[in-house]
Amino acid sequence: MKEIDSKPNEELDKPPFFESWKSMYWLVLGNLAFLITLFYIITRIYS
Amino acid sequence: MRLLDWIVLLGTLGFIVSYGVWKTRGSKDIEGYLKGDNSMKWWTIGLSIMATQASAITFLSTPGQAYEDGMRFVQFYFGLPIAMVIISITVIPIFYRLKVYTAYEYLESRFDLKTRSLAALLFLVQRGLAAGITIYAPAIILSTILGWNLTVTNLLIGILVIIYTVSGGTKAVSVTQKQQMAVMMGGMLVAGFMVVRYLPESVSFGDAVAVAGKMGKMNVVDFSFDWNDRYNFWSGLTGGLFLSLSYFGTDQSQVARYLGGKSVGESRLGLLFNGLLKIPMQFIILFIGVMVFVFYQFNQPPLFFNEAAKDKVYATEFAPEMEALEAQHTTLFNQKQEAVHGLVAALRTDDESAIAAAQAEVQGITDASKAVRTEVKSLIAKATPDAETKDTDYVFISFVMKYLPAGLVGLLLAVIFSAAMSSTASELNALASTTVVDIYKRSVKKDKDNFHYLRASRLFTAAWGTLAIIFATYASLLDNLIQAVNIIGSIFYGTILGIFLVAFYVKFIKGHAVFIAALLAEAVVLYCHFYTDIAFLWFNVIGCVAVVVFGAILQFFIGQKDDRLYA
Repeated sequence: MKEIDSKPNEELDKPPFFESWKSMYWLVLGNLAFLITLFYIITRIYS
Repeated sequence: MRLLDWIVLLGTLGFIVSYGVWKTRGSKDIEGYLKGDNSMKWWTIGLSIMATQASAITFLSTPGQAYEDGMRFVQFYFGLPIAMVIISITVIPIFYRLKVYTAYEYLESRFDLKTRSLAALLFLVQRGLAAGITIYAPAIILSTILGWNLTVTNLLIGILVIIYTVSGGTKAVSVTQKQQMAVMMGGMLVAGFMVVRYLPESVSFGDAVAVAGKMGKMNVVDFSFDWNDRYNFWSGLTGGLFLSLSYFGTDQSQVARYLGGKSVGESRLGLLFNGLLKIPMQFIILFIGVMVFVFYQFNQPPLFFNEAAKDKVYATEFAPEMEALEAQHTTLFNQKQEAVHGLVAALRTDDESAIAAAQAEVQGITDASKAVRTEVKSLIAKATPDAETKDTDYVFISFVMKYLPAGLVGLLLAVIFSAAMSSTASELNALASTTVVDIYKRSVKKDKDNFHYLRASRLFTAAWGTLAIIFATYASLLDNLIQAVNIIGSIFYGTILGIFLVAFYVKFIKGHAVFIAALLAEAVVLYCHFYTDIAFLWFNVIGCVAVVVFGAILQFFIGQKDDRLYA
């Protein structure tokens, strides 16, 4: 009982805009990939 | 400084401190004081995390770094978003489940008291030193540029922070950081807008970026691999990942920010918010530095940005040599200005050979200017041996003081003070909570009531604040401030991260083995720092891997010994 009480109910903590946390994580990683690509393009264009 | 600047500066700081004290008055128990009653929403957590990391050094040194070295420093943050995801998945649920006040509390339930105490002590040493530098770094620069007394500047920053951090604890830190972030980002964007506006009318924004590119400043990503290169894609991704995992997952000054969240979800969102915005924020700050660089291609820069240090040479026998160098600097600038205008014109033609010729001409004069600056540095070192000969930390503030109008100078100084205060507040709060929860309450005074520990938390916050001010007052100027903080962090973070990595993922390694492994790993990192040329970001990886490897080997032998004992 104690274990159940102390465990936060993660199901209630849905992220905004997305159905699951996995999608949120992919958004952050996708953003990183996008930024690196963008920075690479900037480096190439202005080198 | 003009009257309007004083009004803006003191008004901004006064409002933030008063609001922090008023909004969080009356913390009655340790839960509220150290965890903010678990009431914080994700945007407060996110901004608080960003404000904690963005110290005054970020706003003083980073544009100067871009001025000198281009945009490549942004790669240092490539590992950060990955770390945010890993911490959100693995660390946050465990901390919430165990309802811990500090990260180190978890280590006792996983290992033993000595490992918890060791990690807490490594944190206290590392963060205690860093807190002094966080105050000292902006204070030394502001006192040099503005002619303020260094001790008074240290005291001003330190005392303002102590007032609201002692009064309101974690909640006061997070509440004030929202305002501080608004001031910081607002001020920097205004500065960025102004520097572009101050470019000659004939030079468009596109021309400015193109000139920066041709002068090697738009080097954002570098995929070449070099162990000794501090900032490239690989060191940023791997070293930056380990450093971020350690900083955000095990450093109490950051852990406290998300432990105060309303729920697991709010804490996760706060961290992911940082993962999304941190790199763009650093990019903007670096880009402002690059624009300052372009501005100084059309407006004569000071021969040496720390003009107070240069002026001291004029009071010595080396004054004629300095005068000659000033004359050379002016001549070269006049030639360069013409060459840069030629480069802009060539870039507009898209004629590759014309661009290459103009670029070569600018580069030749730039190299000559660099040689003059090197001579100036040697002369300063010769004339005043105690003087600091690196002036990159003065580039941005020097531009602000010389070119921004009344009111904006006050705002930009408020940016630097806000940044110093926001990081220092998180540090003092974390130092106090670790001292009370992991050392005082656990090993010194175990059976006191809640009020006693609340009072102890307040006293330790004030004590760490006082210590930071004393350290700041007596610290000597380090090579490059932003790097000094990162180097100190990297020396300890790897080992702390290794302990936590073993705790979370390598279940067969127990307390005794990990404790000895951590001591050995710290010795290896210190050896690398003092006796090798390995870039400091790699210390995070080395320390961490050493704890895991030594821990596994030691566990193998200790385990066998235990088996024999209990056979």
